[in-house]
Amino acid sequence: MAVFSNWLPRAAAACVVASGLAGCSTGSTPSATPATYGTASIPVDQFVGRWGLASYHNDADRARTMKEAKGQCGKPYVVAKGPGGGLMMNLADQPQVSELAVKGGDNGRTFIGPPGEPAGGPNDREVIDPSQNSFTTVWVDSDNAARYGTMVYVRCGAKA
Amino acid sequence: MTVRKRFSIVAFGAGLALALFAVGGVGRADQAVPGNDEMNVEDQPGFQPTPEQEQLSGPWEKQVVFFRTTEAPGTVIIVTADRFLYVVQGNSRAIRYGIGVGREGFQWSGLQRISRKQEWPDWRPPPEMIERQPYLPRFMAGGPGNPLGARALYLGATVYRIHGTNQPDTIGHAVSSGCFRLVNADVIDLYDRVPVGTKVVIKQAQSL
Repeated sequence: MAVFSNWLPRAAAACVVASGLAGCSTGSTPSATPATYGTASIPVDQFVGRWGLASYHNDADRARTMKEAKGQCGKPYVVAKGPGGGLMMNLADQPQVSELAVKGGDNGRTFIGPPGEPAGGPNDREVIDPSQNSFTTVWVDSDNAARYGTMVYVRCGAKA
Repeated sequence: MTVRKRFSIVAFGAGLALALFAVGGVGRADQAVPGNDEMNVEDQPGFQPTPEQEQLSGPWEKQVVFFRTTEAPGTVIIVTADRFLYVVQGNSRAIRYGIGVGREGFQWSGLQRISRKQEWPDWRPPPEMIERQPYLPRFMAGGPGNPLGARALYLGATVYRIHGTNQPDTIGHAVSSGCFRLVNADVIDLYDRVPVGTKVVIKQAQSL
């Protein structure tokens, strides 16, 4: 406690000194602003719907996994549009859905993840090979990616 | 991320049990017996144990043992209470593997035959598990890290299998929903020894 109480006045003093030099602006402003990321090239509505969900770890299994995903529409994964214009989806290991953003990343890459985090953050998944009736995601976090594999979503029925 | 990243094998077991009871029992799997040394663990899809973790020791390690039986050589005998699977060799010898067995209420006994064999079987979480963990894929293609391991040998027309596992620490425990699990090296060895049609005797305890 003594250390902290000694440290705080010094830090404040340092800020005052610094403010005279550089305004001390970056250190005194809370980072309440949302993370910055570009606008995704894929519209949010393209992800909304009911999806057969399957996964694979080896690329050789992709084709049959796509077929299996289509066969899973009896227990579809439902993606709804959120009140903020995002997607209501689960994060890894989270049984409750939350509103996620569709983020534009570098080189035209697209990510889905928490809106307060930059594109490609550890809680994001990258969207690959998107179309009107299917898309594929890979978790950015290597542990999540290893456990869940590459996840394919195949639309159940025609797009509304 | 503080959430423990595991899927529940309990729900998986419940799903298999419901499937079993829904069809009014399977084959001769008619003798539920109490279990012990129960291990309440969760599946770990994607987890790949190290070779050291997969190396069993002591009684669970594959070995040739003295084994008196009237069953013909080549027959598979599973003794649930002991957590062992034997392949009869003749001359009162058998190859013995350490296994994981069903938890209490999921153990059974009976006579089956190997009806099908599959390398790197796919995994499908049961509906109850999907309901509880809706983020799970409804299908996971086989491969390293798959909860069903490297091989599966299907037992007759039942929902039960002898299969591998990516959780070698569950060997020797009552952990499953009625299937029998071996470490991947052992199930590969067994798979190569046991053809389709092989007689499989599942019993609670070794009879003298």
